[in-house]
Amino acid sequence: MAQKKAAKKTSAAAAVPPQLFWRREGADFLVTNDFGHYAWLKKKDFDALAAGKVGEKHPLFAGLSAKGFVRDRLDFDSLAAKWRSKNAYLNTGPGLHILVLTLKCNHKCLYCQAAAGGAGARDTDMTPATARACVDFAFKSSNPGITIEFQGGEPLLNWPALVAAVKHARSRAKAAGKELKLALVSNFSLMTEEKARFLMEHEVSVCTSLDGPADLHNKNRCFSGGNSHAVTLKWLKYFQKKNADQPAGIRVFKPSALLTVSRYSLSRHKEIIDEYVKAGLEDIFIRPLAPIGYARNLWDKIGYEAGDFAAFYLKSLDYILKLNRSGVVLKEKMASMMLDKIINSRDPGYLDARCPCGAAIGQIAYNYNGDLYTCDEGRMVGWEGDEVFKVGNVFRDSYRKVMASDATRACVVSSNLEAQPDCARCVYKPYCGVCPVYNYEVQGSLWGDMASNDRCGLFKGIFGALFARLKGPGSEALLKKWVEK
Amino acid sequence: MKNKTISVRVSLGEYGLDAVRYAAHASSGAAHVFIKLAGSGAALVEFSPTGSVPAKKIAAAFRSELAEEKLRAAIYAANRELRDFMILKALSKEEAPVPAPQDDSGLTPEQEKELDALIAQVESEIKQEAAAGAAGDPLGITRTWEDKYGAKKSRKKN
Repeated sequence: MAQKKAAKKTSAAAAVPPQLFWRREGADFLVTNDFGHYAWLKKKDFDALAAGKVGEKHPLFAGLSAKGFVRDRLDFDSLAAKWRSKNAYLNTGPGLHILVLTLKCNHKCLYCQAAAGGAGARDTDMTPATARACVDFAFKSSNPGITIEFQGGEPLLNWPALVAAVKHARSRAKAAGKELKLALVSNFSLMTEEKARFLMEHEVSVCTSLDGPADLHNKNRCFSGGNSHAVTLKWLKYFQKKNADQPAGIRVFKPSALLTVSRYSLSRHKEIIDEYVKAGLEDIFIRPLAPIGYARNLWDKIGYEAGDFAAFYLKSLDYILKLNRSGVVLKEKMASMMLDKIINSRDPGYLDARCPCGAAIGQIAYNYNGDLYTCDEGRMVGWEGDEVFKVGNVFRDSYRKVMASDATRACVVSSNLEAQPDCARCVYKPYCGVCPVYNYEVQGSLWGDMASNDRCGLFKGIFGALFARLKGPGSEALLKKWVEK
Repeated sequence: MKNKTISVRVSLGEYGLDAVRYAAHASSGAAHVFIKLAGSGAALVEFSPTGSVPAKKIAAAFRSELAEEKLRAAIYAANRELRDFMILKALSKEEAPVPAPQDDSGLTPEQEKELDALIAQVESEIKQEAAAGAAGDPLGITRTWEDKYGAKKSRKKN
């Protein structure tokens, strides 16, 4: 009798799905699993799945089995491969290395998180020797592909350090046989033909900020030296033309632009997107403001609630899809990266949304003086006088010591979604990630509290919008095109 | 009035304490939550609203979350080993060390001598068979075109 009962219990346990995250959306249920698969189910089908009653005769049996939702039909090799592909970053060290060449800047943007000093500020330039030491440190990473991003302040205000870093990095890459990508994030106001030529000859891609039409851009990005919007567009066009022409012996990348959404942007999604199309850009990265650094002081003027951004984002997404239908090529970058995970089970290299987050183990920020931080946001917290995210210094600390530093470990542990009580149960967990720096700045702890966390609310809004649109056949096809490779 | 603290009694026989804790987390954005044991078989969960959401609504959301949490706990408990196995499988494949080329064959010197002699014998047999084979191929069927007719010649007329 006892044996019979035990057998019955085992059989019941075996019937439930091997893993299931879910969220009710109206009359339907969105279900996901850690392999990155998802499905939309009617309530009766969800109940059947949860009760382990999706048998071979069930109409959804084949589909759910293939996606790893049916326990006794698991394709171990295929599912493990999916998981591995989606979490490929776990096997490599930091790939993104952000060199802050100077804290000086000739702009005074309303939302600047970079804690920039004026163009005349002293002692905040990275020396060429420090730049080379930073490059050497970056090449200690176990990652076979290294991306070095030059930031500031305005990095073009420290041209000698940029040249030193670029040349040294190219030579190190050749010797080490590593793949190297170099990227410059600049407001273009100090760009010249000579500098542009050097960047193109050394295959440095360029990225700038474009906040929309001239009045909005210039309101957000104050530039006492002239018209920031006009300068931005002039050099965007320049690099686009060079990309189209591809001068002999040089590989020129398409330039890209970032949009930062301030309160002034919220009512102008169409104009902003039209401006990107007009500028010949094929990607738009709609990024919310974070109340970190200078932006925190002005939050009551330029900030907004997560719900406001979510509404802006959804309107923008739908407008982009509408433009796509009329033949305009434009993708939203955050959506593209999320979709790459959802549709292709691929790691798009989005360090802000992965588990654990990219702090130190995915990226390192190098301050002008060689100090190392978990990320650029962590460096900004340091600039405010709190060194909680400092992981070392290029001259004093070994790579091993940095990777095993207290700050690195604390960020890894606190951004492990398995250990976050809300995230571990969230339907978006297979694709999401938390930010310990945001949590620390906004909620006072690395762990934060997701139930009241605006970043979490915002990500949920974005995921919700994407999954809702993946449900509609028309928009699903368009979104899938965004991540076709 | 709407911000008054409200208590919900939960039977620990029906829901585990973990399920109670996780369900309570979902309400932590709207209320301070305090969980205490109420005797041996129950927990008392107190909600003190921190914002405009009424306590009754928070308690209702907690009860709904609790039911879902029970299902989550059941699925998790039934699959823990399977899930661990899958993740380990995914991780281990990548990390499996590539077998290093071995410096020696692992044979003793005597065995190596024996093997060398065997290889020499086999090679000698192959040579003999090849020679015999060639003799037994008067039409040259096993020979290549070039062996038979030489390299391609120019067709250019003089």
